[in-house]
Formats: sequence, structure tokens, C-alpha cells
Amino acid sequence: MPAVRMVYWFSIKITFRIQGMSLTAVLIVEDEPKIRAILRDALEADARDVLEAPTGRSAIALADAEHPELIILDLGLPDMDGLEVCQAIRAHSDAPILVLSARTSEEEKVRILDAGADDYVTKPFSPNELRARIRALVRRAARPTVSPAEEPIQAGDLVIDTARSTVTRGGAPVHLTKTEWALLRALIAQEDRPVTHDRLFTQVWGHAEGDAKLYLRVYIAHLRRKLEGDPYHPRHILTEPGVGYRFVMER
Amino acid sequence: MSGRTTQRLAAPRHVVTWGLSLAALIAVTAGMLWLRGTLDKAHVALVYLLVVLLGSAAGGRVVGLGLAGLAFLAFNVLFLPPYGTLVIANPLDWLVLGAFLVTSVVATQLLTRAQQQAEEARGRTVEVERLSALGAESLNAVRAEDALRAITDVVRSTLDIDRCDIYVRWNGDAEPALAASSPSTLPEELAVDERRHAGESLLVWASTHGVVAERTDGTLHVPPSTEDGSDREAATDVRAPHWWTYEGVRVLFVPLRVRGHTVGVLRLLRNDGLRLVPQQQRFLDALTYYASLGVERARLTADAEHVEAMREADRLKNALLATVSHDLRTPLTTVKALAHEVAEGGASPNDPRVRSIEEEADRLTAFVADLLDLSRLTGNALRLDLAVNTADDLIGAAAARATGVLATHPLETAWSPDTPVLLGYFDFVHALRALVNLIENAAKYSAQGTPIELSAKHDGETIIFTVADRGMGVPEGERERIFEPFYRPSGLPPDVRGAGLGLAIAQGLAVAQGGTVQYEPRPGGGSLFHLVLPAHG
Repeated sequence: MPAVRMVYWFSIKITFRIQGMSLTAVLIVEDEPKIRAILRDALEADARDVLEAPTGRSAIALADAEHPELIILDLGLPDMDGLEVCQAIRAHSDAPILVLSARTSEEEKVRILDAGADDYVTKPFSPNELRARIRALVRRAARPTVSPAEEPIQAGDLVIDTARSTVTRGGAPVHLTKTEWALLRALIAQEDRPVTHDRLFTQVWGHAEGDAKLYLRVYIAHLRRKLEGDPYHPRHILTEPGVGYRFVMER
Repeated sequence: MSGRTTQRLAAPRHVVTWGLSLAALIAVTAGMLWLRGTLDKAHVALVYLLVVLLGSAAGGRVVGLGLAGLAFLAFNVLFLPPYGTLVIANPLDWLVLGAFLVTSVVATQLLTRAQQQAEEARGRTVEVERLSALGAESLNAVRAEDALRAITDVVRSTLDIDRCDIYVRWNGDAEPALAASSPSTLPEELAVDERRHAGESLLVWASTHGVVAERTDGTLHVPPSTEDGSDREAATDVRAPHWWTYEGVRVLFVPLRVRGHTVGVLRLLRNDGLRLVPQQQRFLDALTYYASLGVERARLTADAEHVEAMREADRLKNALLATVSHDLRTPLTTVKALAHEVAEGGASPNDPRVRSIEEEADRLTAFVADLLDLSRLTGNALRLDLAVNTADDLIGAAAARATGVLATHPLETAWSPDTPVLLGYFDFVHALRALVNLIENAAKYSAQGTPIELSAKHDGETIIFTVADRGMGVPEGERERIFEPFYRPSGLPPDVRGAGLGLAIAQGLAVAQGGTVQYEPRPGGGSLFHLVLPAHG
């Protein structure tokens, strides 16, 4: 299998044994050696194996062969378009994909999320931010898929029971309409990850019919007014500028 | 050309026809005289009729009518008794003679008219063929300039003139410029006709007022000037008027119009004076039309090339912006992350020197972003995604993004449960950048620890986001200049850094989406910066 051998030529396999062992394998796809080294430093505390791929092709082969539990994907690869790499990996793997992008265009963020990525970080990123994003993705992936019978979600002073469709804030019940519930469920299902406007439209309203953008903005505002103490300083329903919204348990 | 040659050739041909016709008449008459005893009047009438018809077919109306008259006399004198006189014995013979005369005249008329119509039809066919050839030629030419050349060639040969030029007004009110000539060598005089009328060159005069003619005696015939410049374009007819065909015109300027706009001028020159037969006048009208279309095509091609060049320049600029953005961010990522690592895990945690590396990397990142934004704004490369957005979203995102400010200034957002959901129609990302710039600007120019207040309100057809500080304010004379790029206020404390782009970018981004940024001194000291954006609906 010369192809696989080529992949190993291009990728350096490094094994680190560390105490937590929360992750068995992480794949870093990045063509810049220095940034690859920085990412490895940031990750080796949490992962047993840190795999590195400098090209899109080697990344797809490694993802297939090694089943990493987390993939960090730079979009500016020399051989392939980052979107294609993302789609190819997503076709065979459910592992969370965190995208690194040196471009700040929001359309690109939306496209990459639609292509199957879970989250993105814009270069130059702060290592703290990167680590926080990774931790959230890993925590989310480690949990079994959310079922309606799950325990109520605790988010600050909010207790959200999706099974019984009840919310309390500071112990006091909060009434949500049917659409607000649909919106909240769609956000919670993607907890800690950005959800694009389009995806929210289709999940809540079936399809983006009528003035869907207007509905979405207004319903988010109403939801915040019911769930957040100060909608001008949201703690749970965060705005992802130009992309969509993100639900977090606690900030 | 053709008209004059036919006239010169006509004389000898008519003599021949006359000769032959008369000979035929005499021969027939002699033959019938010999057989006079056995012939009936009807035979004589039919034979003469035959001769008249043949004669008019060969020689036209005059020959036909002449033969009819002669045959009438011969019939009367030689074949109707008493022979040798014009007297007719039997009154019924007058009927025969009258019938013969009327029949021959009517037949001659009908025949010659039919011949004329056939001739005209033939002429039209030739005309149509030439025009369609010209149309095909001008449409087939690969380059629009070649089409114009072809048109000038056809105009020159068809109208038998010495020179034909097409001038094109490439844009708007520009003076028409020479685009094609036949013959292609430059004329003795200047390429652009320098002769003037009422201070304007004849070309410009023709293009704005109508057909201009210069007679061989040097006098000008110009259309009257219309006082109101606005409808000068529509003042004259596209077609060349025909008054000039009756006088000696040396140079003729015909405006070329398409959809009421003058796109160019057709210039005809014949040193001996133009003299056009009606068919050529029709040609000129049609050729003028073709020339107008040719010129319009040349203009459209030039426009398309210009647009294509602009698009290419735009594409290059965007590619450059993307590359610069990418190529600067990658090393900055490394610098920032390495500095962070050294600061976190190094032997001297929180070493201010290492911290400042990280801070400088952040500053550089922000500056690169500023420059990119500024170049997009000045180059009109800004892409807008206008949509309905809430003030809640914008304020929340701005508060989350302006975390650097929060370290030194409390950010106060006055929200009460009865605050309505305000809807605006703007590009969220650009509006956010503008608002964050205003917040950072407020923090930069106000003392540490003083609060910055952020609020939104609905006002008419706008949503106004206001950033209020208790800083130094802006002196009266500088309130316009603060929105200029690279503006730095005078007497700035040395610890205030920045390139002076924040407000310029905020203003540019706001204006791009139909809004603005306004400054207002705050009662009690400080500044109010209003980001005004269109409201929804």
C-alpha cells in the first residue's frame, strides 16, 4: 500500500503518555511547522497520541486509518481546499473538527460549518481561547448523544428540562412558547458550538420561508429576555457575528 | 455615378431604336401595300399594333407613341379608301382607326410602366443586396473598429465621394474622436475638423445640433442653436435632410444617433460637391443608420473592455487583500502563541517583556485588520450582507468583543425589562466593527476607571447606538476632522497609541450601509458618539 506509506512519510507520528489520558488520538492538520509545534504543545497535555498532517491528502488518510477523537484543521493547506478536506473527513468520521482560519470572512465560517466542522478559531488565536474551544468540543463529544430523557440541564441559575419542557430561572418557572422551545432545543443540541442562521431556520421553521431572518432575530431576543438576566450581556445564548448563535452552559 | 453614365449612353441607343422601329414600320407598310387587295382592315390594324408594341418594348414610351402616330397616318392614308388622302369614305372606318389609336397608346403606356417597375425592382434588389452585404460585413467584423472601417469604405464607394470619416463620442459629452476613415490615410486637413461655428468645432456642433454642411463656396449651413442645452440631443432628426442635395455641398456632417443619444458623427467630403440621386439619398439614410449601430457597437465593446479591466483589477485587489491578510496572520499567530507559552511556562512568569511581545502582536494584528478594512472601504471592495438584526444582538456582541476595554473601563449598558426589541436593517459584522471601534475610541480618550455607556434607541427611520464617555471630548474646530483616516488629536498624552483609523473605519462602515457616525459633545463633559443605522421596515 504505497499510498498509506506516503502518508506516513509526510506525517510525523508522536506519542505522548500523559496523566489524564482523556483523549487517545488527536490529528493536527497544518502546513506551517511552527504552528503545528504550538498546537502540539497545547494538546499533548490532554492527548496520548498527537498525529500531524501537513497536507489535506495525508490528513484524510490519517483520519481514516487512526480514527482520531479530535481533528484540528487549518484551512490554508497547500494541496487541497480546506472545505473539501473537512467534507472528506466528515464522510468517515464523527470526531469533532476544529477549524483554524487565517481569513476572517464570515461566509467562509458558515461554509465550513455547513461542511461538517464543529467550531472555528481565527488566526492569530490566543492559546487560552484555543484550549477552551478544544475542551468544550471534547467534553461535548465524550457525552453520549443527548436523548429527551436526559437529566435537566443546569446553566447558571437556569434549569432547563427538555424532557418535561420546563424552565426555571432562579427557581421561578419561565413560560416558553412552542417556537421558543424549538429554538432552545436546536441551540442546546449544538451546545458549545456555533449554529448557523440557516440551520436554525430549517430546524425550527422547517425551511427559511417568509421573513425567516426577522423571525429568528426576534425569537432570539425574546428567548434572551426570558432566560438571561441582561440581554445586553448574554451568558448563555451568545451571538456569533455573521454566522449564527451559540448556546453555552456557563461562561 | 450610375445615373450620369446611363444618360450619356442613352442618345446613341435611342437613335438605333428609332431607326430600327421606323425601318420595321416602312417594311411592314410596303409589304401590306403589295397585298392591299387581299387584306382586311383588321389585318392592317393588328400588324401595326404589333409594330407599335415591339417598338415601345425596345425604345420606351416615346418610340411607342411616335410609332403609333405614324402608323395611324399610314393606316388612314394608305389602307382606308379613298387611298392617298386623309379623307375616309366609310364613317365606320373612323371607329376602326380610333380603336387602333387608343389601343396602341394604352398598350404602349402599360408596357412602359411595367418596364419601369421592373427596372425599379431590379434597382431595389441591388440596393438591398448592397445594404445586406454591408450589414453582414459590419456585423461579421471581429473588431468593432474594423466594422466602422468597412462602413466608411462602403459609404465612400456607394456615394462616389472623396472621403468618409466616422467620429465616435466615446463617453458622455466628450468631443467626437476620429475612429475610422476611408481612405485610411489622414486627410490633408486635421483629423478632427477644426473649422468652427459659434465657437464650437463643426463636429461638436453637428453632434449636438444636427446636420452641418459646408458648401463649395465656403459658406456654412448649420442647424439653429437651441438655447436649452438639455434637449439639444432630441432637437433634430436622425435622417439627413435632403435640401443639401440640390446645392453644391463639399463637406457634410451627419450626427449618428442611437436611442436619442448622439454617439458619433459621419463626415462626408467630395471636393466637386455632393450630388446624389434619390436612390443614393436613400442609401445615405440607411448607411447613417448602419454607421450609428456600428459606432454604438464600438462604444459598447469599449465599455465592456473597461468593465472587464475594472473587474480584473478588483479581483487582483481582493486576492492581494486575502493574501496579505493570510500571510500576516500566520507569523503573528506563531509570535503570539510562542510569547504566550513563554509567559505561561517560562522561568519568569508574567515577565512584562514577554507580555509586551504578545501585546504588540495583538496590536499588529489589529493594525493589519484596520488597514485591510480601510483599503476595502476606499477601494469599494466592501461586501455587504444587509439583513434584519436586533439591537440586542449588536450590543451583546459588542460588549463581548470589547473585552480589552473592560479591563480599564466599566462598560455600562442600560437595559430595563421594558426596553423594546429594536430592529435595524444593516450588515451585522460591519456594524459590530464600527460599534466596537467607537467603544475602543472612547476608552482610549477617557481616564481609566471612568465608565463607558452603551445604549440604543429608535429614532424615526433609524436605530441610534450611542457610546458615551467622560473623556476629554473633541474641540470645536476638530469635530469634522476626527473622522479622517490617520487623524490624531493635538496634545495627545504619549501613552495613547494607535494609528487614528478607528473612527474613520467606523464612519466608512456605517456610511457603506446607509448609516453614519456622528459626534456630539456630552453635557457635563465627555463625548457622545452616535452610530446611526437604518431601522427595519
